[in-house]
Amino acid sequence: MTLTSPAGGGPARTSARRRAAVVPALPPARVVRGPSRPRLQRALVPWLFLVPGLAFAAVFKLWPMLQGFRLSVLEVQPFLGDLFVGLDNYRAVLSDPRFVDALGHTVLLGVGTALGGLVVGTALALLLEGSSPVLAVTRTAVFLPVVTAVAVVGEIWRIIYFPTSTGLLNSVLGWVGIPAQQFLGDPQTALWWVVVVGVWTAAPYDMVIILAGLAGIDRSLYEAASVDGASVWQRLRHIVIPGLRASISVVLTLAAIRSLRTFTEVYVLTGGGPAGATEVWMTRVYSLGFRSNDLGLASAASVLLLVVTLVLTLAVRWATARRSAA
Amino acid sequence: MTSSRRSRAAALVSAAALAAALGACSSSGDGGSQAATDDGAPLEVWSRGGDPVAAETYQRVFDAFTEQTGIEVDYSLVAELDTQLQARAGQRDLPDVLINDAGSLGDYVDQGFLLPVDRDSLEGADQVSDETWDQTLGLDGQYYGVPWSRQANVVVVRKDWREALGLEVPQTWEELEAMAVAFAEQDPDGDGQADTYGMVVPGTATNGYIARWGAPFLWQAGGEVLVDDGEGHYTSEVDSPEVEEGMTYIRDLFCTPGAVVPGSINFATSDTPFFQEGTAGIYLTGPYNFNVFDEGVGRENVEVIPMPQGPASATTFAEGENIYFGASSTKTDQQQQLAEFLLTPEAQEIAMDSPAAGGDGPFSSVVRLPVNTSVDAGEVYDDPRWDVVADAYAESSKTFPWNIDFIPFRQVLADGMNAMAADCSSDIPTTLAQIDQGFEAEIAAQGLGQ
Repeated sequence: MTLTSPAGGGPARTSARRRAAVVPALPPARVVRGPSRPRLQRALVPWLFLVPGLAFAAVFKLWPMLQGFRLSVLEVQPFLGDLFVGLDNYRAVLSDPRFVDALGHTVLLGVGTALGGLVVGTALALLLEGSSPVLAVTRTAVFLPVVTAVAVVGEIWRIIYFPTSTGLLNSVLGWVGIPAQQFLGDPQTALWWVVVVGVWTAAPYDMVIILAGLAGIDRSLYEAASVDGASVWQRLRHIVIPGLRASISVVLTLAAIRSLRTFTEVYVLTGGGPAGATEVWMTRVYSLGFRSNDLGLASAASVLLLVVTLVLTLAVRWATARRSAA
Repeated sequence: MTSSRRSRAAALVSAAALAAALGACSSSGDGGSQAATDDGAPLEVWSRGGDPVAAETYQRVFDAFTEQTGIEVDYSLVAELDTQLQARAGQRDLPDVLINDAGSLGDYVDQGFLLPVDRDSLEGADQVSDETWDQTLGLDGQYYGVPWSRQANVVVVRKDWREALGLEVPQTWEELEAMAVAFAEQDPDGDGQADTYGMVVPGTATNGYIARWGAPFLWQAGGEVLVDDGEGHYTSEVDSPEVEEGMTYIRDLFCTPGAVVPGSINFATSDTPFFQEGTAGIYLTGPYNFNVFDEGVGRENVEVIPMPQGPASATTFAEGENIYFGASSTKTDQQQQLAEFLLTPEAQEIAMDSPAAGGDGPFSSVVRLPVNTSVDAGEVYDDPRWDVVADAYAESSKTFPWNIDFIPFRQVLADGMNAMAADCSSDIPTTLAQIDQGFEAEIAAQGLGQ
């Protein structure tokens, strides 16, 4: 099965750009009378350099992706021979209430994580902006969740969320008199506790992008504002947030794409439970593909995810382009 | 113009190079299937699992086989066996022999992975009971597996805790629940802290864990899940007052503080070390972990009791492993010889890997209850707790249906049970009706209806 990802187009785009850069460097066409040997060689050289990258992309991205499209219209029976079933798999996915629920959870998780990450990331960026060495060390420490394997993050949070009174977070809550919480065990709240983990992981990444955005804001604006007697809130409202518009757009686009592919956090934290309350699109795909061995259905669901991701990405790009044109 | 033609030519060359590379990949795949012809290569045997000690036990069994017959065995312990099997099926080169869950039989037959087994021509087949053989019948009435190991779930109890609180061995559901609550509330380990719980429960729906754990309570209430008319037709009986009663008992356990380790609703078996860690005192489970429990809390404190009686019966859940013959294999004779050897008391005893047989360990039984009726589990293990398991298996056990692909049914059941247990005010009849609908849809999808 192909777990198609929007990153699939990356290497192809890069190679096209490289080719564009290479072609003008060739000798002027008027000298050429038929492709002489050295010239053909020279034309081949850039392609030869590209072969490892192209081969890699073709074998590990393009080929599995095409296979994913192929499998999505088959009932996959590797030993007896696959059966062509047309769009049945797509119909089955779209009419499966669990996929619909999973889509809802995925969107909630995505929106919650994106907005939470943005708010916390911006707060962190505002707190940690500056050039003092102490801040640099703190920024590095804060960034650690981003470079930690998601599976490890999940396991650690499972320990933190352990739902007895001796669990880590419950002990802390106990100090202020809050009774032991079920956290991931309660179907009503489990998804929100997964969102918290998502925010914890995403916020530092967002922070870095926001920090870059903050560095781009003209300092003289702050000085002018303080001369005019603007309050901190007014400076935030009228200088910082407008100045960060581009960064926020990047953060939200990345978050939207990332959130649709959410898998590891949920798989490690809850496995999609309890009562399917945290099941997201990719955990459903996984359990269909690798637990029920229904690779056709899982591929169809993956292709749909690719389409949604593509549409979403194009929509965001279109909206951004329109705004910058205006 | 010229340059664009040139780049097109170059692109073609690159594409050809790529195609050649891909071609090379796929041709190596084809080469794999040729290896399936009987080329004198060793008999390839796969078993499922990730425990290297189990692999050593298997290796000892196969070494004994090689010594006796001269047939070489190439054995692998395979994690994620079903995924790996799909890959090998794609190459049309299945392992010659598979040792895996008895419950996979229907699915494997559906996928065409298995060769039928000729029970009558198998030497030693008569040393396995008819009931056990019947579990390997496919829907078409042919045998598709050779029984290898069986087990029944039993209740493991912290004996010292039970005695410290002056409790009797529980005989009924009510007594079992009362003991679970007492373990949580009455400080059975006497350390003055409220740090103990009643039951260990793998309650996640993933891999159907809660269905495997909880099915006995449904059966003990007199309920049935999926019923077979003996001719390959199945009907769903999950939407019944008996199943509702069993499910209500399960939910009560989850909703009584302390009766079940908190958070169990999301636990798989790998997340539940509480018994051996001494934080919980009751575990309804298979006999494969006795060694781990003994090491954790001391053998004298690990008591094994039969399932307490429910309103209708004391039926428990049985599982097992079968020996399957890969359909692409041409080593029919060798497959047969291996199966015959694996049924012998000698092979079964090596595979039981009993600490009582001596040696330093670590030990790992790959045959739990022997399928060969001349082997006595309690005697081989020198452990009367195994007699409890053997009795439970022989007298009051039930399996999920093995001749169909039960995994989708198990998942529907587990999802529903997980949902009902997760919410103390859940609407059990409505959820059972939903499970029933899911079953009906799957019965139709697999063509199992009347």
